[in-house]
Amino acid sequence: MSAQKRRTFKIEAFKHRVEIDPKYAERTWKVLEHAIHEIYNHNASGLSFEELYRNAYNMVLHKYGEKLYSGLVTTMTGHLKEIAKSIEDAQGSLFLEELDRKWGEHNKALQMIRDIMMYMDRTFVPSSGRTPVHDLGLNLWRDNIIHSSKIQSRLLDTLLDLIHRERKGEVINRGLMRNITKMLMDLGPVYQEDFEKPFLEVSASFYSGESQQLIECCDCGEYLRKAEKRLSEETERVSHYLDSASEVKITSVVEGEMIANHMQRLVHMENSGLVNMLVDDKYEDLARMYSLFRRVTDGLSTIRDVMTAHLRETGRQLVSDPEKLKDPVDFVQHLLDEKDKYDMIISKSFNNDKTFQNALNSSFEYFINLNNRSPEFISLYVDDKLRKGLKGVTEEDVEVVLDKVMMLFRYLQEKDVFEKYYKQHLAKRLLSGKTVSDDVERSMIVKLKTECGYQFTSKLEGMFTDMKTSVDTLQGFYASQHAEIGDGPTLAVQVLTTGSWPTQPSPPCNLPPEIIGICEKFRTYYLGTHTGRRLTWQTNMGTADIKATFGKGQKHELNVSTYQMCILMLFNSAERLSYKEIEQATEIPASDLKRCLQSIACVKGKNVLRKEPMSKDIAEDDAFYFNDKFTSKFIKVKIGTVAAQKESEPEKQETRQRVEEDRKPQIEAAIVRIMKSRRVLDHNTIVTEVTSQLQSRFLPNPVVIKKRIESLIEREFLERDKADRKLYRYLA
Amino acid sequence: MAGRKCRVRFNVGGKIFETTATTLANAGRNSMLGALLDESWNVRQPEEAEYFIDRNPACFAVLLDLLRTGELHIPPNMPEKLLFREALFYGLLDKVRAARWGAFDGNRLHLASSVSGRAPGDGTAIRAGPEGGCCVAHGSMVHVYDWMLEAHPPISLDFQQVNDVGYIDAGSIVITARERLGKGDGGMGVFSASTGELRHRFRVTHYDQVKSFTAGALSFSNADRKIFTSCKGRCNEYGIAVWDQDTGEQVDFFYEQLDCSLGDADKLQWLDADKCLMVATLFPRRDTSFIGLLDFRAKGVVWSWSDANASVSASLDEKRVLHATAVEETRSICVVNQYDDLGFIDLRSHAGGVRWSSRSKLMNRKAPNEESCYPKLATHDGQLFCSMNDGISVFCGPEWVLTSTLRRSFGGSICDFSIGGDRLFALHSEENVFDVWETPSSPII
Repeated sequence: MSAQKRRTFKIEAFKHRVEIDPKYAERTWKVLEHAIHEIYNHNASGLSFEELYRNAYNMVLHKYGEKLYSGLVTTMTGHLKEIAKSIEDAQGSLFLEELDRKWGEHNKALQMIRDIMMYMDRTFVPSSGRTPVHDLGLNLWRDNIIHSSKIQSRLLDTLLDLIHRERKGEVINRGLMRNITKMLMDLGPVYQEDFEKPFLEVSASFYSGESQQLIECCDCGEYLRKAEKRLSEETERVSHYLDSASEVKITSVVEGEMIANHMQRLVHMENSGLVNMLVDDKYEDLARMYSLFRRVTDGLSTIRDVMTAHLRETGRQLVSDPEKLKDPVDFVQHLLDEKDKYDMIISKSFNNDKTFQNALNSSFEYFINLNNRSPEFISLYVDDKLRKGLKGVTEEDVEVVLDKVMMLFRYLQEKDVFEKYYKQHLAKRLLSGKTVSDDVERSMIVKLKTECGYQFTSKLEGMFTDMKTSVDTLQGFYASQHAEIGDGPTLAVQVLTTGSWPTQPSPPCNLPPEIIGICEKFRTYYLGTHTGRRLTWQTNMGTADIKATFGKGQKHELNVSTYQMCILMLFNSAERLSYKEIEQATEIPASDLKRCLQSIACVKGKNVLRKEPMSKDIAEDDAFYFNDKFTSKFIKVKIGTVAAQKESEPEKQETRQRVEEDRKPQIEAAIVRIMKSRRVLDHNTIVTEVTSQLQSRFLPNPVVIKKRIESLIEREFLERDKADRKLYRYLA
Repeated sequence: MAGRKCRVRFNVGGKIFETTATTLANAGRNSMLGALLDESWNVRQPEEAEYFIDRNPACFAVLLDLLRTGELHIPPNMPEKLLFREALFYGLLDKVRAARWGAFDGNRLHLASSVSGRAPGDGTAIRAGPEGGCCVAHGSMVHVYDWMLEAHPPISLDFQQVNDVGYIDAGSIVITARERLGKGDGGMGVFSASTGELRHRFRVTHYDQVKSFTAGALSFSNADRKIFTSCKGRCNEYGIAVWDQDTGEQVDFFYEQLDCSLGDADKLQWLDADKCLMVATLFPRRDTSFIGLLDFRAKGVVWSWSDANASVSASLDEKRVLHATAVEETRSICVVNQYDDLGFIDLRSHAGGVRWSSRSKLMNRKAPNEESCYPKLATHDGQLFCSMNDGISVFCGPEWVLTSTLRRSFGGSICDFSIGGDRLFALHSEENVFDVWETPSSPII
């Protein structure tokens, strides 16, 4: 050891690393190249992975990575060129199968080559910025097979031809198709550029042609069915053998060609278009149209516009049809039926689409208000439903009807007119005791209250209260007078608060002495319990039940109005009375008297009086006799009930005038409210504000508003601004 | 029979190993062992076959043990480098790295290694890579180390001063450099971490004109694939530039506005939860410190703080904000001053000042003659790190209590540190040495 150490140190020239046999790299590469050949020739079973891996490793380790990589590219390219040839040579339908088979083989080979080159992939590839082996294999496949001049266009044509044949109804090998498209997808953008783009173009021209052809020979429903089928076919095709990202693209092609391009023509197709579907309640076709049109821009608005136009037109006809106007109940029933029909269509076919519901509502609002008698008719309809004696109607049914009526009510612009009529009709129902049930009446009022607020219904509720107090009062009256009344006529009094009821003051008629007595007793009783009140008899609104004996001892119970009772009672003491005599004795106003006489003397089956001469109309010099020969198969005979009727033209004018009159204070109140908070406003703003405040009750006319403003200026609630005449100023 | 089929025999360099297919499955198909056992390579192999591998048996034993247990135990007589080389052969190097150290915890760190630098002068910055490597910027050079702490060819910027560095991924490093007067160079580029080659140079365009510029601080948003840099151009092109990580193209430029200095920023930090960028321009680069949050969607400064008003009565003793880091968990920004006090600014209020906590002053043991570096701050996983002189303090919990101190006795004070890839790297200014701190893998029981 020490001897060795003492030896003089000799600094040697720097030795290069141990030089490897220069042929080493070449030899090693030959081994690997041979292995790649064997792998492509399905002869890999004799290869040792460990040896190959070690060889590839050594090449990289000894800085031959470059040679290894470029060798791999060359060898693989060579094999792919051979493969391309065998695919090109494949005949007819075998072409795709050969391509698919070779693709499978290439993938398998690529995996094995990658295994061998794994070390290179980890070290040499990233540091030298090369493409990893797997991606390299795919790129080479793309460049040498898919983009080879003899394969590229043939592949595209074959694929498009197969799809075309499938569209025509042939069965094709979907599994093979899926493998091929999967290959294109694996190759990255190749699928989009080399297949999807031309596929979409070809599809567009196919569907453009087909839709042209179909629209000539099919009706609308048929066409839509076919379009729907085509859409679902394309979706199914995508799920079977195309990239899922293609679904949106191909369906939008079909939608564009088959629907968007023919939308107007489909909707307006003669005898089968949208209007016909609506008329015939074709729920399925409508639903199909909705779901198809929803896919394209402006599709739904097209349907909606046509539906609205149709609705408005039919609605306008409905409300202006003089035949329909004859029967208010029928008129409203038609409206309700129309509404039901479209509600059904929207819920069954249009997916309860809010925009469609809004279109429906606005259409109804439009045409209901075209006819200014709509409020009256709707009230009459309610009256009809709430009247007793309507057979086969349960309270539940009435509730359903009322809900529907409320819907129509919401469309009304002149809600105050409705209120007016409703009040009249309700009064008649209450006083004649004809309401189907108090509960239903009240629930209707609650509905109105929720819709329009407390003010709207306060008077209606007052009417109900009066009815209830009257019953109590009457009970009290009979309890206190029990002994004194004895056998006399029974009196039923309803005490009505002035103002709550739509009564017109009319002078009381002369009551028969039998009645006067008990009436006086009631008056004394009532005033005794309530001080400071005034009672006025509304004889024009009462009814009476009287018993009458006719010739041959026939007894009948007659149900008549108070006026009629007064007339008939006169005949207890006289056989013949002239018109003048009756008028004098009863003091019934002439028009009422004539009507009463007409109903007890001129109506067949109810003519308890006989008139001379026998004519239809009552004249001032007519004479009346007790009709001894009156017969009827009923014991109870109902004579000339005062039923709610459609108003006659003059009455209508009168009601309208009253409504206009009532509106004035409301408009004024609104103006004052607004001015009080805003102090100074110009004319137009006031009009807008007033309109929006009163909208829930009626649509005020701007001219009327102007008049009310002028009136308020006169009464010094407001003044015009000195400087700017357009401005109004509130005077506190 | 089934049991035997699952057994696999290896002859590695003459030594017989027997294991199961399940154990080997842990290696994964993309490893040499996975491919070796794959059926495409075993079409004709008899069942009792023995696989021969011409490699070092001792290392194979260690690696087989790693596959069996997931733990790495390197015998003392085995050089790490040898094992790493073998692991690379088998394609198991990633597994070795993953088993080498545990998940990062500031309170369990131990000093794994110290690497002495070669470069002269003070280091500018040290940055941790995502896979345990790091790079150190000195002057116009950036030295790159992989996770095995092997030095790769350094990146040289031809005498341009490096301002900041950062990793896009383990293989790509972004470097920002100062433009030299009249040379039209500087700017920013992406370099290969393994070879040091320039891969891409970023360009700033203003009104379709390419401009030369000085790039400063860097930040990355990996969710949005963006890079943010503070930029200064010749003609008032001051602001924050935004680039796409994948294409390298400029996607946005946020010009500096009045009262907020962006082009000179010392620190950028992307806040993932708020989708905002924190920009801090601090003393001594500027007399007044400014911290702001930029929202690129709203194109505005959504929050800002400045000591401009406070420093009217500037005195030398005044507390100056020297470094800042946003703590997203507590919605605040942590700052530090020249006395090593930590301070907090609430991100939820717009008018709040700095709430100083002087507790850390107890830690202040500055040696009188020692040249000190400015303190730096960082957060990681709810822990706050602050470098002070030659140590790094770790603060935890809602009250930021000091829980650990990382200190080594030589090398001078710490001029920069960085956390990433489950490691902490600290660069010492005097001896140009950097320390690697890592968390040991979990205890056996």
